[in-house]
Order: sequence, then structure tokens, then C-alpha cells
Amino acid sequence: MDDTPEAPELSLFLASTAHDMKNSISVLSGTLERLLVDASPQTESAYPQMAHMLYQTKRLNDNLMQLLALYKQVGTPAYPFDVQPLELGQLVDQVVALERVLLKSRGLKLELDYDPDLVWHVDEDLIVGVLSHAINNAIHYTCDTVRLAIRVTDDNWLELRVEDNGPGYPPSLLKAGAIATRDTAGGMNFLTNSAGLGLYFSSEVARMHRHRERRGLLRLENGGHFGGGCFILNLP
Amino acid sequence: MNALASVKAVNEIDWADKNYLVVDDFVGVRQLLREALRSLGAKNIDQASSGGEAMGLLTRIRYDVVLCDYNLGDGKNGQQVLEEARVRNLVNPSTVWLMVSAEKSVESVMGAAEHQPDAYLIKPITEGVLLTRLNRVWHKKQIFRLIDQAYAEKDYLRAARLCDAAIEGHKAHELDLLRMKARLMEKSGEPVKAREVYERVLEQREYQWARAGIAKIRMANGEFEQARQAFQSVIAENRYYIDAYDQLALTYQNLGKLDEACAILERAAKLSPNSVPRQRNLGNVALKVGNVQLAEQAFRKCMLIGEYSIMKTPDAYLGLARVCGQKNDAKEALRLLLQVQREFAADYPDIALRSKITEGLVYHESGDYRRARKAGDELEALLDATESRPDIPTCLELATLLFAVGVKDAPVELLCYVIRNNHDNPLLLDEVQKIFDKARLGDEGLEFIRASKKEATDLMNQGVLLWKTGKLKDAVEWMREARKKLPNNQRILFNAAQILVSHMHQHGYDAALSGEAYEVLHHVDRLLPGQQRFAQLMEQLAQLQPVPEGEPTSGTIAEVA
Repeated sequence: MDDTPEAPELSLFLASTAHDMKNSISVLSGTLERLLVDASPQTESAYPQMAHMLYQTKRLNDNLMQLLALYKQVGTPAYPFDVQPLELGQLVDQVVALERVLLKSRGLKLELDYDPDLVWHVDEDLIVGVLSHAINNAIHYTCDTVRLAIRVTDDNWLELRVEDNGPGYPPSLLKAGAIATRDTAGGMNFLTNSAGLGLYFSSEVARMHRHRERRGLLRLENGGHFGGGCFILNLP
Repeated sequence: MNALASVKAVNEIDWADKNYLVVDDFVGVRQLLREALRSLGAKNIDQASSGGEAMGLLTRIRYDVVLCDYNLGDGKNGQQVLEEARVRNLVNPSTVWLMVSAEKSVESVMGAAEHQPDAYLIKPITEGVLLTRLNRVWHKKQIFRLIDQAYAEKDYLRAARLCDAAIEGHKAHELDLLRMKARLMEKSGEPVKAREVYERVLEQREYQWARAGIAKIRMANGEFEQARQAFQSVIAENRYYIDAYDQLALTYQNLGKLDEACAILERAAKLSPNSVPRQRNLGNVALKVGNVQLAEQAFRKCMLIGEYSIMKTPDAYLGLARVCGQKNDAKEALRLLLQVQREFAADYPDIALRSKITEGLVYHESGDYRRARKAGDELEALLDATESRPDIPTCLELATLLFAVGVKDAPVELLCYVIRNNHDNPLLLDEVQKIFDKARLGDEGLEFIRASKKEATDLMNQGVLLWKTGKLKDAVEWMREARKKLPNNQRILFNAAQILVSHMHQHGYDAALSGEAYEVLHHVDRLLPGQQRFAQLMEQLAQLQPVPEGEPTSGTIAEVA
């Protein structure tokens, strides 16, 4: 077992520190969202700056959540993984609600294409986290539209796509994506790239989802509906 | 699209008129949650900054929704607030309880823990997530309302039929309903049917709770080796499925492998340390394998978390006293025994007896035979003073101790009591015979066992004869007398209930007889839960009730709860 004697104290310390930080971030992002809901670019001169603050706060929370999930015990992926049946309608509602204010503040449109009654088996917290992270990213790169499309493929995978109509992923990111999502993940490589942690996290989440002989997987490509960047999660 | 969906959901359920309680030790988070609830239209929102404050509010006000942080600083944690609120009936079955934490907790992995919140939420909590989860829990509670009611009335077979009926129209909750049904089948003493349900789940997906469910049935069947393998593979699949550790430890105990049981409980306690029962089990097993240091650690931890918990029991104190005895510190042991009697006198009427037993064991194990004998005499006096007897394991432990310190009559009387009330349990009879053998009373023991068995059998046969010959009134009366003589004999209790039901079948419903039958059945269910005859008789009794479903059965709910 991996129960080294000093690990419990350290993880306890990390957990309580994280607990504290989460409180602050909760308040920060909640307050910003509230301010943005009540404001508009016409009435509030600092509106664009506030929108940017919200974007950064969300990134901070994403990263914290990812670190906690991946490295709760130092160096050991140790997340209490828990799959439950979930209606896609409920999954999408949550993701959309998380991104609504940020999208509006940037004047972006979110297109949706999914069957709300379809039931799939997922770790809800992780998948909501991965999708909202992907949309946050797309918001950064898109021109004016982000699209979330979910369908069951012919060979019975759940395919979740986050697409944008921006210029597409730069080659370096596609490469980082390929490394981060490779089965024998090149352990440390993602650290050299700022987008790497999120990708690594997302592909870990994909891989945790297993059914019979299949494991979930993540890939990045350019093209899709708009010819821009596509973040594609396949779950068994 | 989203705005529309939210509006629709809000319209469906009126969240505005509900009573809310928000519990968090951080004022900023409380304000944020209050704002989020207000945006759903909520008006009545109370706040608490600690577990103690929350308990105060819960005592006075019935809440529809509770949002409670898991980490509440010093004092009770969120789970302990939930447990106490449920045990003391401070929340309604319809109350939505959402547990909030900074990170995904081990406890949230769907185990079989007795008091689960309706959902776990991870910070930061946003309005959208909150609304989605509130609606989901609400709908689930609607689907489960009648099932939960039948469950609370212990009419498990009716509850299972309701599950079947609900699966049709609620695809999203199919697995929840199947899980409930499997549990109901187990509680009704129908393991084969429970297993079928678990297998049906596994055809869809590899759910570890279904694997663990099948393993539990195998353990109950005595297939310990297969159960061990199954629990181990559940843990290999998901090392956070804590319930499987507890069950694996139990399997090892059944296999006589106490060292392995101890090791696995130690691992479970590391992963999820804040469980009173787990620390208590760890302490008891550690004591049995002679790991005094580990036992002491576990019992002390158990007392520490028990301080704020309604799940607190005297076992850790008694266990720690034994530890002190083995460390030759009889003085500290006695101090603990005094403390346990002070703290638990109100809720545990047999605490004086139990601590005196521990005192005897402490002296006996530390070699102070004179004081051990004195404790034995005092125990005999305690037994003489009352008609009631402790549970069977305590009786056996007590008889063993009394023989060991040289008391004769009291242990013989105790063992005869055990046999009279369990005359058809061959395993237990063997165990009793062994205690007689060890006390060098083998032959006398054989005779005591034979006579006690005959006494019980005669009582029962006479009742059955009256019943079979149609003298129902006399049979009812006879069984009442039989129950007075043998208050804890399950065969007699079941037959008594059966005869009461027959009486009502023939002569019509009678509130007094029905109440008597329920009382008998609840008593036998406390002695040994999960028996087939219990479920069948409960169903027959419920069907005899003259009034339609709803209000009239509430009396039974209150009694059970």
C-alpha cells in the first residue's frame, strides 16, 4: 500500500488549506457573477475588466479542483471516483449555468445539441468540471460562438464535443494534447505547457471511466462544425 | 435555452415557500449561499455557524432544505449533525439534506452507510448546480415517497412491489430503485431474489455496490472464501468503497482469521477515520488478537469522535477498560468503568451489569482472583435482582466469566435461559455445551440443555395444537403465557404473531390484536433482523388493516421510528 507515514499529515494539511482557499474562491466568483448579472457595459465602465476577473477566477478554481482531484495524496492519483446514472439534461443544465455569466459578459453564443433524456453513467462532478474547463478554454479562443454537442456514436460511445469558431488550436497545443492524452502519459511533459494541466486532468478523467474492456479517451483536433478547435471526450 | 430550462424547473417546484437552513462556519460562504437561495425565490433562510447552533435551530424548526458544510471547525461535523437530526427525528422524510465540502469526500462514494445525505456538493456552489441538484433530489423523493413509507412501516414486500411499479416510468432512477429493491429482498429474508436484482444491475454496468451486495449474500450463506474474494476484488476496483473493507473484515472473522480482519479494519480506519462503529470494531478485534496498543488507539479515537456524535456507545469505554486491565492498570480501568456508568446510565439500562462484567474480566485477566470472585458474586446479586437478561453474546460471556471465577448457580441459570429462548438453534446449543464442558460440567450440561429444550418445545407444541384444532381464542391466550415465560424465543414469537393473524383472518380485524401482533413482530425483528417470516407476517398484518393507505398507519410509523 502507499500509506507512507508522513503522507497523512501532509494530505491533511493540503485538504484543510484547500478547504480554506475554496471558501475564498467561492465568495470571489459568486460576488463577481452577481455584479456582472446586475451590470451591463453601458452602465459599468469596468465591465470588461470584471469579465476578465471572472474568467481568471474560474481558471483558478478549475486548477485547484484539478490539483485536489489528482494529487490529494502527494504524488498518488487518489480521487474517490464514483459513477452514477445521469440524465444529459441535468449534466448540460449545470455546465450551462456555470458558464452563462462569463459567456454573456464576453458577448458569446453557446449552441447546444443533445438529448436531455438520455441516461449515461458518469462521475458527475468530474465531467461537469471537465466540460466547463473546456468551455472556459473555448471562450478564450473562439470568435463568437461555442458549441456543446453530445451524441451516442454507432459503436455505442458517448461523444461529448466542445467546438469553437476561432482559428483552431495552435500546433503546440495539439502536440501537448497528444502527449497528455497518450495512454502511457509522458508523466511530466504537461508541466512545461500552461494548458497541459487541464488536458492531463481531462484525459485522466476520461480514462477513469471504464466499462467492460473500454476506457474513456480525450482528443483535440481542428475542424468540426465550425472548422475551429474541437475538444472531444469519448466515454464508454 | 438554459434560462428556459431553469424557469421550467422553478415553476415545477415552488422553492420560494420552503424553509431553508444554511450551515457553514465561514460567514462569506453563508452569505453567498443565502444569495443563491434568494435568487431561487427563497424567503425563509436561517443560518448557523456551528454544529451546535444548527442543532438548536433544527430542534425548534422543521426545515424543507438543509445546506450543511461537512467541515464545521470544532465540535460536531456536518455528518454528525445529519445523524443526530435523523435519529432524533428533527427532520421530515421529505427534507432535502445537501452536504457541502471543499473536495470530494471518501464518504460520498455510495456505500451502505446508514445516514447518507441526499446529495454531496463540492465548492464553489453555484446557482445552476444547486438548482439542478435540488430538483433532482426532490423528484427522487417523490418517486420514493410511498416506498420509504412502506419501508418505515417495515412492510418490505409491499415496498418491493412499489419499486417494481416505479421502474417502468422512471428510467433515470432505475438503478436507485433496483438497489432499494435488492435491499428490501435481503431484509425480507429472500437472498435469492436479492441476488437476481443485483445480477440484473450488473448486466447493465459494473456497479461495485451490486458486486458487494452479492458478496454479502454469499457471506450470509456461509460461503466465506468466495465472499472474501469478491470483497477483495471490489476494493481492487475502487479502493474508496469503504463498506467493502468492513464486510471483508467480517468475512475474515467468520473464517477465523482475526489478524487479517484487524489489518483490513486498520486500513479502512485510515481511509475513513471518523466512524464510531468502525473504530469500535477495530478496537474489539485488536483486543482479541492481543494488539493492545492498536486497541487502545482505536478505542480512544472512538471516544474522541463519539464526543459529538449521537452514535456514541459505551463499548469503547468498556474496551478501553479491558486494555487498561491488560496493561496492569486496574485503577485506570475502574475509573473508566465509573465514568461509563455515569455517562450512559440513562440510555443503557444494563450498563451496570456490563461494566461489572468488564470489571470481573479485568481482575481475572490481571490475575487478581480474589477481586474477580468478588465481582462474580456481585454479578450474581445483580442477576437475582431482575427478571431481564442481557443479549445472547453478553449472556455467554457472563456465564463463561462466572464459571471461571467459581460461581456455579448463576451461570447455569443463564445458560438455561439462553437455550429456552433459542431451542432450535443447533450452533448456539453447541456453544453452550462447550461452555459447560470447559467448566467441567459436561454431563450436567447435557441434561440442562435437554430439559430446557423440552420446556420450550412443549410450550410451543401445545399452542400449535390449539391453533390447528381451531381453538384460536385459546391458542392466542396460550401463546401470551408462553411469551411471558420465554420472552425472546423467536419460534414462539413468530407463532404467536401467526396465530394472532389467523384469529383476525377468521374473526375479523381487531385493533388490540393487531397492535399486539405488531409489538411481537417488532420485538423479534430487533432480536434477529432480516427473516423471511417477519416480512411475510408484516405484509399479512398490513393487508388486514381495514382503512385505506395513508393516515391510519402513521401510528405504526411513529412506533417504528
